[in-house]
Amino acid sequence: MTTYYPIDGGRSQLGGYASTTVRAGATLPFDDARHLQAHRWLVDETYMLDEQRYTDWLGVLTDDIHYYMPVKVTTALGSGYDTAPGMAHFDENKYSLSRRIARFATEHAWTEDPPSRLRHHLGNVRTFATENEDELVVDSAMLLFRSRGDVREAAFVSAGREDLLRRVDGRWLLARRHIAVDESVLRMQNLAIFL
Amino acid sequence: MTDHSATFEAVRAGMIPAHIYNDKEIFELEKGRLFSRSWQFVAHESEIPDVGDYVVRRVLDDSFIVSRDSKGEVRAMFNMCLHRGMQVCRAEMGNASHFRCPYHGWSYRNDGRIIGLPFHQEAYGGEEGFAKKGQTLLPAPSIDSYNGLIFISLDPNAESLKDYLGDFAFYLDYYTKQSKGGLEMRGPQRWRIKANWKIGAENFAGDMYHTPQTHTSVVEIGLFREPKAEKRKDGNTYWAGNGGGTTYKLPPGSFEDSMRYVGYPDEMIERMKETWSPEQLKVIGENGFMVSAASIFPNISLVHNWPKVEEHSDEVLPFLTLRQWQPISENETEVLSWFVVDKDAPEEFKALSYKAYLMCFGSTGMFEQDDVENWVSLTNTAAGSMARRLHLNSRMGMKIDGSPVVPALGPDEFAGPGEAHVGYGEYNQRHLLERWVDYLEREPNEVDAVSIGGLVRGNVGGTTCDSPCGDATTEPTSNQEAVSR
Repeated sequence: MTTYYPIDGGRSQLGGYASTTVRAGATLPFDDARHLQAHRWLVDETYMLDEQRYTDWLGVLTDDIHYYMPVKVTTALGSGYDTAPGMAHFDENKYSLSRRIARFATEHAWTEDPPSRLRHHLGNVRTFATENEDELVVDSAMLLFRSRGDVREAAFVSAGREDLLRRVDGRWLLARRHIAVDESVLRMQNLAIFL
Repeated sequence: MTDHSATFEAVRAGMIPAHIYNDKEIFELEKGRLFSRSWQFVAHESEIPDVGDYVVRRVLDDSFIVSRDSKGEVRAMFNMCLHRGMQVCRAEMGNASHFRCPYHGWSYRNDGRIIGLPFHQEAYGGEEGFAKKGQTLLPAPSIDSYNGLIFISLDPNAESLKDYLGDFAFYLDYYTKQSKGGLEMRGPQRWRIKANWKIGAENFAGDMYHTPQTHTSVVEIGLFREPKAEKRKDGNTYWAGNGGGTTYKLPPGSFEDSMRYVGYPDEMIERMKETWSPEQLKVIGENGFMVSAASIFPNISLVHNWPKVEEHSDEVLPFLTLRQWQPISENETEVLSWFVVDKDAPEEFKALSYKAYLMCFGSTGMFEQDDVENWVSLTNTAAGSMARRLHLNSRMGMKIDGSPVVPALGPDEFAGPGEAHVGYGEYNQRHLLERWVDYLEREPNEVDAVSIGGLVRGNVGGTTCDSPCGDATTEPTSNQEAVSR
């Protein structure tokens, strides 16, 4: 019996093109150079997302990025799944992400004008080697604080993430992000932001 | 209780007292007089395709298990144990032959019948003390379906769903019956917005006027083929029965041309021709109007639109969504948003249509994001004392004397039922809020209590039976008709 169902990219109708590289072995020690590189990458990315430098963010994604956040559902213990069949909040490729980001550059993306105040709280980072030395799997916990307007209540999203980082021409890029959101009903007016 | 007659009178005149969008007393009235009587969507049959499948859905504060029982019948049961009131099913979805209450272990089949009552003899003296045979979880007072959409009503005397929908059923078919195979509904995505539930329903019912302003950004990033401002004005709004919506005016051409124009493949178009009536085909083909957003009173909305979803293609691709504005309070709404697609559509179409939905609507949709920003802001402002002085002018399309700015379309121009107008107007928003007043003005129904297994016999809900209660093989003695597959 398990209470943990890893996100299965195969349940995504749109993610068939994405890398299927999986983790191998136990977590890398925290002083392993690969872990340090992966951790640094995630921390830098976190600041990028807080500062909403989305064009820069698009530049650290591989062309085959699969950015996937299935809808979480509450199911009985032992039912074997905890995401809604065939439905996600995000099921994105680089093109659809680029459209979302292009929208923020227009003068009419009202949901982010005035912009949200964002703070991505990153933790629990652990890194796994894969069978490919240029790819690492990195797990992390993410708590996103979002404040909109002046008097509205702030909103939070808590999620676990499993990322695939790939080294391309000496730079680490994000090749896959699976987001396991911890609520089935999001208490946020939308996900105009990224996790 | 406050006299709301002045508020209702103003609404009927198309002058909307702003406070109705954030008013605790109004919300209490809505709970007691509207949501306790209207038909409420709970699930589509495709969400529970197999025997034992269930989903748990709410009507405001009331939780219902919507299940397909072991005989394949669809049932909706109040999710509260007959004994001490614990919620018997605490998962949102799954497959189960029975539900067991965690408090004292009473258990129920997936059709609602009690199958286990621990220590029945020792605790109650058996059937003489507690007549359990034939007892079921309280069924929804009324249940009915249309094109596989399952609705329940808390009113045991509710009119049939078909009568409730009235002529809107003509339009509902465009969204929910594109072939004999029916629908595939996926989701829902669920999220909470700090907005009053009525705003979304009104917006989807007829607000063609907001799109050029609110949704400029999606045109600017190339998601749509043509600028929307002009297209929207050329379309019409229609209201029929208990719902209404908006349309786009398409370039001249046949039915097939029109469906191809919005991106349907020929095989789907052929099935639509077999499924829809000549009048339904005529609205699109001869009249040149394509249905877009719509609302069913009070809180269901639908969308049909056709963005570009692929990088190196100018082709558009249509998507459908059904959503529910589930009220939480006077200033908070849970949005449930389903992706809808014809079950017989090609797999490639389904995938791209799903992508189109995700890009445009739902929790991450680029259309919906900007809508909600407006609605939250409106709701906030409506709470104050100044909002009690302001009547919002919702008379667009109508002159001071009540005559239309543009006359309604004649039968030669629009073959659909109801009343349709080209151009900007708030006909539909007025219709929706007039229905709302109709419900809020009516005194609440008398509701009889149901008592289970004991001395006091209730007479509503139909779960009780005359003594001696039936044998163990008794079918649920509900007064509800289960929805046949």
